[in-house]
This record gives sequence, C-alpha cells and structure tokens, in this order.
Amino acid sequence: MVKASALYIVIIIALVIGVLCSALIVEAYFYKMQYQKKFRYEALQNNLSSGINILLNTGDTSYLYEKTFSLFNGTADSVSLKKIPWGLYDIGIVEAFIQRDTIYKTFSFANTVDSAKWAALYIIDEDRLLSLSGKTTIRGDAYIPKTGVKAAYVDNRAYQGDKRLIIGHTHFSEKKLPDLFSGRLDQLNSMYAEPHENDSALFKKDTIRQSFLLSTRFINFKKQVQTIKNINLNGNIVLLSDTAIIIDSSAVLNNILIFAKSISVKTGFHGTCQLFATDSIAVDHNCRFNYPSCLGVLRFSKVNATATQAKIVIGANCNIEGTIFTYEKTETALKPMIDLAKYVKIKGQVYSQGILKLKDSVEVDGSIFSSRFLYQSSLTLFENYLINIRIDSKALSPYYLTGDLLPVASKNKKILQWLEAN
Amino acid sequence: MNSKIKGSTIVEVVISMVVIVTVFGIAMMILSNVLRFSLSAKKLRAQAILWEVMLKTEQTKDNTAQTFTIDDFRVEQEAKTYNDNANLIEIHLVAYDRNQQKVSELQKIIVNTND
Repeated sequence: MVKASALYIVIIIALVIGVLCSALIVEAYFYKMQYQKKFRYEALQNNLSSGINILLNTGDTSYLYEKTFSLFNGTADSVSLKKIPWGLYDIGIVEAFIQRDTIYKTFSFANTVDSAKWAALYIIDEDRLLSLSGKTTIRGDAYIPKTGVKAAYVDNRAYQGDKRLIIGHTHFSEKKLPDLFSGRLDQLNSMYAEPHENDSALFKKDTIRQSFLLSTRFINFKKQVQTIKNINLNGNIVLLSDTAIIIDSSAVLNNILIFAKSISVKTGFHGTCQLFATDSIAVDHNCRFNYPSCLGVLRFSKVNATATQAKIVIGANCNIEGTIFTYEKTETALKPMIDLAKYVKIKGQVYSQGILKLKDSVEVDGSIFSSRFLYQSSLTLFENYLINIRIDSKALSPYYLTGDLLPVASKNKKILQWLEAN
Repeated sequence: MNSKIKGSTIVEVVISMVVIVTVFGIAMMILSNVLRFSLSAKKLRAQAILWEVMLKTEQTKDNTAQTFTIDDFRVEQEAKTYNDNANLIEIHLVAYDRNQQKVSELQKIIVNTND
C-alpha cells in the first residue's frame, strides 16, 4: 500500500528549498565579502600609488619623520609617508590603510640624469693638454681644457682610436669641478658626527635582515678594528667605526651602509653596499659591487700636514656599478686620489676631486669627472694622458639613476629599486 | 494490482499548501534581498571604466578637466594642483549613468609632466 503523505512530501520540499536558500545567502555573502576585499585592495593600491607620487615629487624635508594624513579628506584614503636618507640615495616608505587592511611598499629612489649637465668626461682646465694614446675611446660629450685634446705617442704606442678623438660634442671646462650637493654632504657628515644607539647584539647571528619599516640598526665598533665575515647583512643596517673595517669575501652585504675611517674589501667580495671612509677605501682584485653601490672618501675636517692622502684604490678585474667619489672640504697639497687598476670596469660615475690614476684597459660605461689624470708606466709618470682607456657614456643604461650629490642630477626623482612590499 | 493508494485527507492537503506557500514566500524574499543587496553589474562596469580612464590619463599626461562618454556612462574628469605642489595633480573621475545618477568615483594623485 502506498501512502499519499502530502505533509511529508511538503516538509522534504521545504527542506530542499531551505538548503537552496541558505546556499544562496552564503554565496552572496562570500561574493560580497570577496568583492569588497578586492575593492579595498584596489583602493589601497591607488592610495599607495598616490603616496609614492607625493614622496617622489616633494623636495622638502617634511617627510623625514613619518607623516600620516588623509589624501582627499575622505574616510578611506589614509596614507603614511616617510623618507630616510640612505647614503647617496633615499629610501621611501609608503603605507596605505583602510580599516584594518594595510599595504606598504619600501623602495629606494634617486634622481634622473640631467642631459644638459651630463658628460662622458669632465677634466678641469689647468692649462694642460689632454692627450690620448693607444686604443682610447671617449664616446659622449666632453668638457676639456681650452688647450684642447691631441693624440700622443706614449710607451712606443700611437693613438689607435677614432679620428675624431672625442665622439661627441666638446665644451670648455671650468677651473674647478662642478660642486657636489652640500645638503647630501651634510647628511653624510651627520653619520660621523651624531651619536647613534649601538646594537652590539647583532653579531651573535649569521643573518640579520632589518626591514626599513623598523628603526635603523646601528652597529658601532668604535676604536676596534673589525672584520665582517661569514655574515649576511641585509637592509636597514649601518656599520660605524672610528678605525678600520675589513670586509671579507664571505660577507654578504645587501643595501647596507658602512662609515669608517678606512675600509678594506678582500678579494672576491660580491655585494651591494655603500662604503664611506674618511681616509681610504681599498678594494682587492676580483670584487664586484652591484648597482646601486657607492665608494666614497669624504674629508670634512681640516687635516694636518702629516695626514695621509685620502684615496680609493680599486684592484684589478673589479666590477663596480654605481658611484666612486672623493671629496675634501678644505683643499690640501696632497690631493685625494682614486686609483683604478687594470681591467677595472665601472658602470656609473667617477667623481674625483683630486687625481684619477688609471691603468691599462680600464672601462667606464658612464662618466668621469676629474681634476687631473695620472698614468704611471714602469719609468714615467704622465699627467692628463689617457692610454688604453674606454669611456662610453652611451653604454650606460638609459634607466640609470644618480644620487643628488653629484652635479649631473636633475630634479626628477624615480624609483631605483623596490625593496619590500606586502 | 492488489496495491491500494491511500488518499490524503483534506486537512493534510490544506496544511501542506500553507507550509509550501510560506516556504516559497520566504524563499522569494531571500532571493529578492540577495539580488537587491548584491553588487550591481553596472557599478562594477563603471569602476572598471574609471580605472581604465585613470590609466590612460596617467599615460597620456592629459591632465585637463573634461567630460566624455564611454558605453552608457558619462565620465567627468576634474584636475587640480595637489596641495599647491605644481608637480602633482589630483585627478577626480566620476561616472554617471543614463539617469545622471553617480555610479562610481575614483581619485588619484599623479605626476604633472606638463611643466
């Protein structure tokens, strides 16, 4: 016997409809939640992008301390901006938040090159000829003394380069190099002058990664000579020393700053860092500094007559991508020197306030600003001779960015490297 | 052919009808609410259009106030200097539908490269 049981059937149908309705509600809820999340994320990205544009295009110092504000005076457009001077460059920290959602980006930024000031070569006018010999190539605009440039026969070698001598426009140089930007120099000087909180616990680990969202970790070795080895240092870290720092090839340095009296880099080192010394930087052969790195010797205080010559010595076969510069606030008789050994390759800029000593087969993709060149053969010392040197400003990447310290920097700032994001 | 079919009583049928009508009524209410409160395709489309317009404005550097029509939407673009900084322009885009109702808006600060 089959029962009609209309009530049972209705209850089952009602249950099925109930389940379908519940599924519909849950689906609609999750869809809305996910879409709102996506919408908030897009709005955050939009605000983040606006914040980055503000940071890149505001020249004043108002963002040296973290500043949180509403972009358009709305309820969902809060951003937090901060700028940290980081050696030759700046670090930007931008956070955008809506309710409990936050996204952030940290990046380094620098200036584009001002094409009106850019030159492959700038040698000051000391009423000396610039002589070229061997397979020397200068490609790009050049600022040369009024006495001009000529081909020369040196060490039994004639000039074998392009007949034009300089492949580009030539201009007359001044008696002095264009000045470095004093604001950036003051900021670099403050790293030596101001006391910093010392974080000595760092060397108990083999890897230290400090986010730029956190405060900078300063490690001050004071008067103790320290060798940096078997350690990976990454990010917002500054090493300071009143004496020498030795960097071993086993050290992995990424975006950190080092300020010391003298810095010695051992053979085979690879890394990205900015080194600043008051006396000397010595880089052994076969080292590689990736972009954006910097080697700079800075003398802010007046030195006595017995002080050693400020110098940067780069060993053979080194590759340096970034900037090498010397600066002396008060000129001394013993001019600061940059000494580049054989087969050194530089992608970037060399700014030598004093002497630039070059050996055979040095290649510079970028520019050289120098007061004087020096070439030493086994017997003779030649002044303002370029022998078997290649300087090619066109070979530098069009995306190359320079620090505002150097006189070729334009006012436009662009992102150099993305560092952190979520 | 010996099986018998027992018919439902009138009371059972009435109760069943009441229950089924109530359940259907509730289901329809839920459905209409879900449809009413879910995101409209129109709004999504307007947002996508504003993003595209903003991207084009950034690329073409066309930082002028203007109105244009895309699909069924009228998009109004306003541009003004941000915080007296000549390097920065605040772009405000608003999308209106056929009934001149505001559907979506988007604001962004972009770099002024007209200088």
